[in-house]
Amino acid sequence: MRLSLRVNSQDYAADVEPGTSLLDVLRDELHLTGTKEGCVEGECGACTVLVDGRPLDACLVAAHGLEGTEVTTIEGIGTADSMSSLQKAMVEAGGVQCGFCTPGIVMTLTALIAESPNPTEHEIRVALAGNICRCTGYAQIVDAVLAHTSELQIASKDTM
Amino acid sequence: MSALGSSAARSDGPVKVRGQARYTVDVEVSGMLHCVIARTTVAAGRIIRLDVSKARALPGVHAVITALEAPTHRTGLAVNDQPIFASTYISYEGEPIAAVAADTKAIARRAVELIEFEFEETIPMVDLDESVAEGARLVHPDWQTFSLVAPCERYDNVAGEVFADPQGVDSAFAQAAHVVVDEYQVGRQYQAYLEPKAVVAEYVSGRYLIQISHQYPFSLRNRLAAALGVRSSDVRVIGHHIGGGFGGKLDLGIEPYAALLAKVTGRAVKLVQERTEDLITCPSRENAIIRIRSAVDVDGKVLGRDLDVLLDSGAAAGDTPYLCSIALFMAGGAYRIGPTRVRARAIYTNTAPTGAFRGVNGTYLIFAVERHLDHIAEVVGVDRMAIRLANILNDGDKLLSGQTLDDASILGEAFAEVEKVAPWVMETRPPSTDSTSVLRGIGIAATPWLTNSMPGEATLRLADDGTICLISAANDNGSGAVTMGLRQIAAEEFDLSVEDVTTTLPDTDTQGFDGGSQGSRTTHVVGRAVHESAIKLRQKIFDVASKHFEVDVTDLEIVAGAVGVLGVPSLRLPLAEVAMIARRTVGSLGATASYAPALPSYDPSCATGFLFTTFPNPTYHVHLAEVEVDQVTGNVSVTRYIVAQEVGKAINPAGVYGQIQGAVTQGIGYALYEGIDIGNDGRYQQRTLASYRLPLAPDIPRVEALLLEHPNPNGPFGAKGVAEPPIVPVAAAIGNAISNAVGYQITSLPIRPNDVLDAIEAGRKMRQK
Repeated sequence: MRLSLRVNSQDYAADVEPGTSLLDVLRDELHLTGTKEGCVEGECGACTVLVDGRPLDACLVAAHGLEGTEVTTIEGIGTADSMSSLQKAMVEAGGVQCGFCTPGIVMTLTALIAESPNPTEHEIRVALAGNICRCTGYAQIVDAVLAHTSELQIASKDTM
Repeated sequence: MSALGSSAARSDGPVKVRGQARYTVDVEVSGMLHCVIARTTVAAGRIIRLDVSKARALPGVHAVITALEAPTHRTGLAVNDQPIFASTYISYEGEPIAAVAADTKAIARRAVELIEFEFEETIPMVDLDESVAEGARLVHPDWQTFSLVAPCERYDNVAGEVFADPQGVDSAFAQAAHVVVDEYQVGRQYQAYLEPKAVVAEYVSGRYLIQISHQYPFSLRNRLAAALGVRSSDVRVIGHHIGGGFGGKLDLGIEPYAALLAKVTGRAVKLVQERTEDLITCPSRENAIIRIRSAVDVDGKVLGRDLDVLLDSGAAAGDTPYLCSIALFMAGGAYRIGPTRVRARAIYTNTAPTGAFRGVNGTYLIFAVERHLDHIAEVVGVDRMAIRLANILNDGDKLLSGQTLDDASILGEAFAEVEKVAPWVMETRPPSTDSTSVLRGIGIAATPWLTNSMPGEATLRLADDGTICLISAANDNGSGAVTMGLRQIAAEEFDLSVEDVTTTLPDTDTQGFDGGSQGSRTTHVVGRAVHESAIKLRQKIFDVASKHFEVDVTDLEIVAGAVGVLGVPSLRLPLAEVAMIARRTVGSLGATASYAPALPSYDPSCATGFLFTTFPNPTYHVHLAEVEVDQVTGNVSVTRYIVAQEVGKAINPAGVYGQIQGAVTQGIGYALYEGIDIGNDGRYQQRTLASYRLPLAPDIPRVEALLLEHPNPNGPFGAKGVAEPPIVPVAAAIGNAISNAVGYQITSLPIRPNDVLDAIEAGRKMRQK
């Protein structure tokens, strides 16, 4: 069955079985392997992508239902030359260890910051409740967001 | 420009945050086939018939292999007891019986469904006490035919037994003021790395090429070669980024199936486990029963002890015969004890084989020893902190193995550090009786822990542009040991920025032996090899520069990545120019060093069956947990968690903190959430990440870490192992805190809400009597 999908501001066409998950389309058809498969049950959040800016588990949504939406994957965050400020903060704060959950976490946090640019620690932790990180114990991921937002505040003060 | 002691960012951070890091699940090879393993659905039985003809006939299927097409000898870490495929009897649920290679994973799955498998189910052996009872049905009726890798003491369903029976135990009990008896039961814990096990295998020109995310590529190479019956040099293992391991990716696992199918089909074969398959067959931390009996004097001093441990090996011994030895190191925990009888047995059951998980059995042995100590304090009527400080290990104290701990007084310093931030209040208040209120409790636990001493090797090469290539099979499981620590150590001798040091991923064809990412060894052991190779390379650089400048090498220095002549600021040769001059004059510059830590001495007569004999380069740990217990729901929240940890030298403080926070989080999971319940049918009851509850961001407090630094002369710049031990005392500290909160001695793990409510009720009844 024909599928037209807009991913990271690019239009893609593929022929996939009805019911195929967005995750399988991203990884197997579009070869966008930054989105990870951890459980295929919507528990781990490693496959989190943004659909029209909202974080979703790509393993749980059928790709055909997303025609006409804008899908953003980890490959659509930052540019080839520079990481997004959140990605930079994740690296600098030690928010990355094995890195397998990291793309999903970056997507969740990117959506959080877009909605609430100055989240509290509690809000960050609640936002992360759908993303399992087995390595870090979350503290340095939270630190990354806090550092990112305080840096943005400093930057905006500097430009005033 | 020293980077040592700075929180330099990990070099693989940028590729990981961008989703560009390649894990094994991301590897594609042209013409690659997909493998699915057919597994048993029951835990025990006799195999009657296996017919794969319909599966073979399915279009798109390239090969189906069974025990008829695979080597039938058994292999293992300690006992050669594990076959590639079950052929005569089923020993656990999920045991492989066949493997399919097909064009797609979906076809391979359909083929598995077409396999006809007839068996006569038998009642599985699940209970540890039943398994060691006289006349118990044997999990492996043919156990006597299994050959040994290590000299395990074995009999019947016992895959390994360590037994120490020193003089004086019985007389200690004869003169005791109190005898305190406890039994603890702990469940399995799944490593739950986020990247499921995966492998891509090829068979090229008579050699197996294995691409994998594995913690110990050299062991995998040798184990796979043994399983396939080929020379170890016929296997090449190439490592990719590891999506978490925690011990679960240390041993041979799914590799033989992909390798055999690659040989049969002549194509690359990829095998990625599904989560449920991964969960139910992963060598999880074993469940265990710990029985402990102490002879205690009026002050709470332990005059003698009897410790009996049953570890569930599952259907294959794995590393459990070695783990039995750890009971000798942990029998007293961080405290002095009198003569102690230790019996630890690794027991076969009809369950998935268990194995290594961060902190191995130290986690539950310390849980038992520390819970028991709180119980002793209650019986004797002394303060829980006072009894610890009165009996804490000191310099020169010995482990039951006879090994002397030269620096155990660090434990006292660690207690003092905790005291500074959380002053201990002598407990006088009775437990709350208000059934709606939140109960609060505090727990403390301490332990020594070892640094794994498997050897390692590193090569440093001076690159054309004056940067340094660090080549080693040491791999970074996520800890940052390679991408932070080793780079920082390498940069030091050249006064380079860490950004000027590149690292490699493992390849057993091109790198020297490495003992794997296990037991916190990489920074300590490979770091030492990196440091020694850096000193050698620096010498070679100086030799080239001294000829160039026509000065003595003793007049040279390296500052900011350039060789200079002391006292002559105008004479300066950047390392890139050294590399070019060297190429013209002596050839390219590189140096290799390997390092094997010296092992401490011990008393070989301390026990029988003692296979894991030393506790090298110990570190010391004191943890304090504060909890709130909701009396209505039984929910526990950890409100404060303090770690005082000896690290030798913190090469990268942010990296050290990340290991402590991560390990404590896994420990909180072990203590409160993560339970695998095994039914009487031998099947796991938690089979998905929805039912196997892992710690989430809102559950976990920010750990307060207090680092102690007593540099170790053997480690690079004094560094000791860091990453494994902060999980060891966590369940103990939390178990003690909850018991303190509810006023009842908790004796099992995990401590889930129902267990908490039961304990509250039991405590209430006890006080009413």
